[in-house]
Amino acid sequence: MSRTRLAAFLCLLLCLLAGHGWAEETYSFDLEEFAKKRFTWGGFVEAKGEHFEFNEEGAFALLNQYEDPRSTLNRFTSTLQLDGRFQQSLTTLNWLFRTWAAQDEAAWADDFVVYTGYASIKASPRLTLNLGKKTWKWGKGYAWNPVAFIDRPKNPDDPEEAMEGFIVAEADLVKSMDGPLQTLALTTVALPVWQGVNEDFGAINNVNVAARLYLLYLDTDIDFLYYTGNSRSTRFGLDFSKNLAANVEVHGEVAHIPTQQQKVLTESGSLTTREVSDTSYLAGFRYLSEQDITTIVEYYHNGDGYTEDELTRFYREVTDGYSLFQAGGGETLLQRAANIGQSGYGRPQVGLDYLYARITAKEPWDILYFTPGLTTIVQLDDGSFSLTPELVYTGFTNVELRARFTWLIGGEETEYGEKQNRSRLELRLRYFF
Amino acid sequence: MLRLIVTLLVLLTAMPAAAMDAEELLARVDRNLQPESAEMYRKLINIEPDGAKKEFVLYTLRKGRDKMVALFLSPASEKGRATLRLDDNMWLYIPNVGKPIRITSLQSVVGGVFNNADILRLDYGTEYEPTVMEETDSAYILDLKAKTASVAYDRLKMTVAKEALVPTTIECYAAAGMLIKTLYYKEMKDFGDGQLRPSVLETQSPLYQGYKSVMIYAKITRRELADEIFTLNALSTVQELR
Repeated sequence: MSRTRLAAFLCLLLCLLAGHGWAEETYSFDLEEFAKKRFTWGGFVEAKGEHFEFNEEGAFALLNQYEDPRSTLNRFTSTLQLDGRFQQSLTTLNWLFRTWAAQDEAAWADDFVVYTGYASIKASPRLTLNLGKKTWKWGKGYAWNPVAFIDRPKNPDDPEEAMEGFIVAEADLVKSMDGPLQTLALTTVALPVWQGVNEDFGAINNVNVAARLYLLYLDTDIDFLYYTGNSRSTRFGLDFSKNLAANVEVHGEVAHIPTQQQKVLTESGSLTTREVSDTSYLAGFRYLSEQDITTIVEYYHNGDGYTEDELTRFYREVTDGYSLFQAGGGETLLQRAANIGQSGYGRPQVGLDYLYARITAKEPWDILYFTPGLTTIVQLDDGSFSLTPELVYTGFTNVELRARFTWLIGGEETEYGEKQNRSRLELRLRYFF
Repeated sequence: MLRLIVTLLVLLTAMPAAAMDAEELLARVDRNLQPESAEMYRKLINIEPDGAKKEFVLYTLRKGRDKMVALFLSPASEKGRATLRLDDNMWLYIPNVGKPIRITSLQSVVGGVFNNADILRLDYGTEYEPTVMEETDSAYILDLKAKTASVAYDRLKMTVAKEALVPTTIECYAAAGMLIKTLYYKEMKDFGDGQLRPSVLETQSPLYQGYKSVMIYAKITRRELADEIFTLNALSTVQELR
């Protein structure tokens, strides 16, 4: 080979190599790895560190810590959540377990909870039968769901967390159609409350019935919901959700309970039971801006909430009880206040009107998988509120890192001003498998 | 006489293209990309400027012009999530949350450059109507206009390979005329049963400088499916259909 030919050959080789390097990247996809298995399982392990600053003058700090008052608390919690399913022909067994253990400067606590565990029989694409422990999460609201008649109350500070269900028998019928009514579905649930079965749902020795009729009508999700039984009072509900544009969704819920008994602290200081007819409702929207910022806003009217005056009476009951305790008068009044708290005053979002707003920015400053957010819940009757900035990063495969700080802000005798915490810092790491 | 023969010859060679109008071309592009009722496996890869990658694997079912459901098989953090599309309506089911929530086409359930409209894409002819069709030696160029305001991109400029009648490049524009992203269909592959189509879809966006997202199709199989599979009630049980 002459030098000229050799040079030409080398040039060609270099060009080819350069061409190969410049050529498009090739991608691989091995389907064998994703072959269907009869038994599948997964879950996550979580490590969570929390630092609490207590609101030492707040009613709930006085009530819960009068014997051992403290200003701060550090807690470490580890959690394991396991989910899975086993499919045999038309029948599928589904389960979700969670176990956790927490150690703080005051105590150790742990628990194991079967969130769900049920058998599902898909008799046909239109009919499914379920038997066992199950959750539904009825309703379209993000933070609250007044129509979730057979679910446990959602935590608006972490509304996307799994929840424990109830033991039921359920039939689910669905039909798809052409035209403005695209889907029609009827879900009926029998929920027994017996000794050892769903006892925390309500009065025992009853079989309760709940139903949901779902329509996808004119591109709108519409649910009609109903619950009746002797464990809780009968209630009716309606919800809807619709996309108004490629970046706007609106939703709402209404729940009506014709008759309900409610414990209330009277002006004279006695705890009485009153019969009320209440209507709760929620209206909200989700908006995605051109800058990839998602905003969720919801207004919630809690029909069986307490007025500002009724809440003030409870807070005063606690402070009076604590003053008596400090003066050496014993803890009788504080115990009474604790009982009143358990009768309804101690539950989250105990007032009448709330505003929820959550703003999250997807991958700002070109940082992929990074989502900062800001959430606030405002008690509209007394103006107190919580404010929670957070940072979430999911850039490592199967790992989610979350940092959150929550301030509770409010004056004396306001809902957030009387909570046990003044602030809470949380660092959480989840590894999914 | 010679001029007449030449004119006739030109007309005769031009006839196949002229015979196919823009709507028919778009319909053929849609059918060449995927059967009307089918199941498929796809891998999505988000590639960062430094070369770091994040991968997602989806099992997808589609029926007709307006029904699609996609189930995440991987990674573990996303496993069991399912997205449903019925015409302009989209929902996301997250196992932990336990109920479907409405999502919008401009959001992205996977991050990166692909949004929900790209992942749950219906036939182009379902969402867009052609307004202009041009022709070059090797390609047809279609200008497509969104039929409704709820469609993710207001206008598409689609380049269609003449021989295979599949897209090679699609430019996606917002209503204001801004280029949002460009989709590149690549690597023709025989999926069997007469399905010859691109197996890779790449996208880049001026809004995500240096980032790239890729969708790889591994298997596309015709399958008869009940309409009720494409309902909210069935979203938590999609994996039973594999």
